[in-house]
Amino acid sequence: MAFITSLGISDLAIALFFIGLFGAMTQRNIMKTIMSVGIMDMGAILYFAMSNLPKNARPPIKGTPVEVMADPVPQALMITAIVIGVSVIAMCLAMYMRVAYRYRTAEWSILTSRVEK
Amino acid sequence: MPLSSILYLIVLLPVTLAAAGYFLPQKRYHVLMGLTNLTVSMLAIMLFYVVRGAGPLEHLMAGWPEGIAIRLVADSLSAPLVMLGALFCTGTLLFSTRADYLDKTFIFLFMSLESALLGIFLSADLFNIYVLIELSMLIIAILIMYKQDKQSVYDAMLYLMMNFIAMAFMLLGLGFIYRITGVLDLDMMQERIAMLESPRAVMLPFAMIMTAIALKAAMFPLFSWLPRAHGAPSAPAIVSAVLSGVQVKTGVYLLIRVSHVFASQLDASTFFLVLGFITSVIGFLLAICQKDIKLILAYHTVSQMGLIVMGINLGTETAFYGGLYHIINHALFKGLLFLTAGTIIESYHRRSYAEIRGVMRTMPAIGIGTLAGMLGITGAPFFNGSISKYFISDGLQGDWGGMAMFIINLGTTLSFVKYSVVLFGKPAIKLSVPRDPWVACVSLIFGAACLLGGLFGGPAVQWLFGPSLRAAGALSLQKLAGFGVTLGIAVLAYLYIVSRIGTVLTRVRTNRFTFNQLTVMLTIFFMILLAFLWLYGSDADPVFIDAILPRP
Repeated sequence: MAFITSLGISDLAIALFFIGLFGAMTQRNIMKTIMSVGIMDMGAILYFAMSNLPKNARPPIKGTPVEVMADPVPQALMITAIVIGVSVIAMCLAMYMRVAYRYRTAEWSILTSRVEK
Repeated sequence: MPLSSILYLIVLLPVTLAAAGYFLPQKRYHVLMGLTNLTVSMLAIMLFYVVRGAGPLEHLMAGWPEGIAIRLVADSLSAPLVMLGALFCTGTLLFSTRADYLDKTFIFLFMSLESALLGIFLSADLFNIYVLIELSMLIIAILIMYKQDKQSVYDAMLYLMMNFIAMAFMLLGLGFIYRITGVLDLDMMQERIAMLESPRAVMLPFAMIMTAIALKAAMFPLFSWLPRAHGAPSAPAIVSAVLSGVQVKTGVYLLIRVSHVFASQLDASTFFLVLGFITSVIGFLLAICQKDIKLILAYHTVSQMGLIVMGINLGTETAFYGGLYHIINHALFKGLLFLTAGTIIESYHRRSYAEIRGVMRTMPAIGIGTLAGMLGITGAPFFNGSISKYFISDGLQGDWGGMAMFIINLGTTLSFVKYSVVLFGKPAIKLSVPRDPWVACVSLIFGAACLLGGLFGGPAVQWLFGPSLRAAGALSLQKLAGFGVTLGIAVLAYLYIVSRIGTVLTRVRTNRFTFNQLTVMLTIFFMILLAFLWLYGSDADPVFIDAILPRP
């Protein structure tokens, strides 16, 4: 129990990353792998955003005293990373739609065998 | 305007002008983009001479102090690559002046890709590099499925998802490294990593970032995205050429840069040396199995990337510069081969090497270009490949080293003996090939560059990177005889072995890995790299890289 209560959000983020990786390795459904990849990306982003974050830190918005301000660099960078992640996932989904219409399947193994030689 | 804003211009000019001029009609837009490319090439050449004369040039964006600002820097490693990238893109765009796929959207995507690639070479901020890699990844995915025929959407999807997983690894690694050092700027990071007491702290981030970079550099077993992207049936010729010529080089470039940043604590050069050899061998073995001429070339890119990574990690100065020179050479001859292969496929409407004959007769310029490219890649005397391979083999001393080089050379020659059948013989079908002076000119120029890079190998290395190495040994009697023997064995092996094991080749060729298997491979690669670093990683670093990448 002491172990569980000592875990922070950063540890959760790493766990999330590897859960996503596990999903990408094991799920046969294409939709689920896309979701897994998204979870991986979110785990990495969450971990990054939590870096250099002291306890009781306040968001880096105008008016916050510098002593209690959270490190603004990760926040700024992660907004970029979130946007990139969303656009890549959107593109994967759009491609999946085309592939699903063409090959009539939602499984990687069937899809791989149906692709023209 | 300070001189360093030239760095800005090189990165931003292609994409901003491509966006701003988008309202122009097709013809004028094309001309404008051609001029833009010429300007960027001029700027890149100027930048190269400035860096040659006055040392590294850097620019801190938006006037922030060092460490916080996003920094652009051109030093003696990146300046030649920027010049290569800019000239290469100009050449390929000229090559396809009359191509029918060249509509406005395509040109816009192509110019954006050029900006992203030049940005990766010039940026000295790891997060910036991450963003630019993601950008180029998205553009490439669109370009792969540009004509949307056959399995192109599947190829692009697999490419995008594999690369996205690798980039997630990189992002998590960046998070770790930011937590430890508090900066993302490469020089500051290097200073702070050198101050760490134990390499254990940066082991995990290093392994994560290196996994992503190894996938970008198409190392075994992470290369399976490359043939899909580079040999994609629906990608136009110039896309394949730019991907193989410039884009895959960003992986090697980052491999050099990032391992140099971590060099004071961790050294994975032995790991990458062995990996380079395995990649090289697997690459040509798979190339021998292919029938599609573009796929033969794509698997050869994998093989040559292995050779480059070997050269860079061998640990001697000559081999290191040999590896760098091979980056340039590979861009020239592989770009040329992909461009000509695209033209051949378009005029014959066939993709299999077995169905194409007599290119020399139907399209002499393309034929000569292909021949020059093949001589370059097999390391024939007087061509550029022979020089860089000679430098790389300089680091491979002893029986095992010589053997390794011989195996790689033999494999390369063998598959190009197979490829060369398209040049000769009589075409089976009647062809009406329209005369296209742009295609002929550009292929002859690239071919001439291959020859010149071989004739003036030593001076070329000195001009590009600085050190003066003696290349005379590449033309020694021993090397000439070695090439002759290799060619002889390759022809015999092709006639008596390769052409008789068709069923085996077909089985290898049609074997495909699913996405799950590829992800498992990526994870295993990451774990092996981590285990290697844990056991053997904390050695001293090789000193000679400091000559080209000075310590801050």
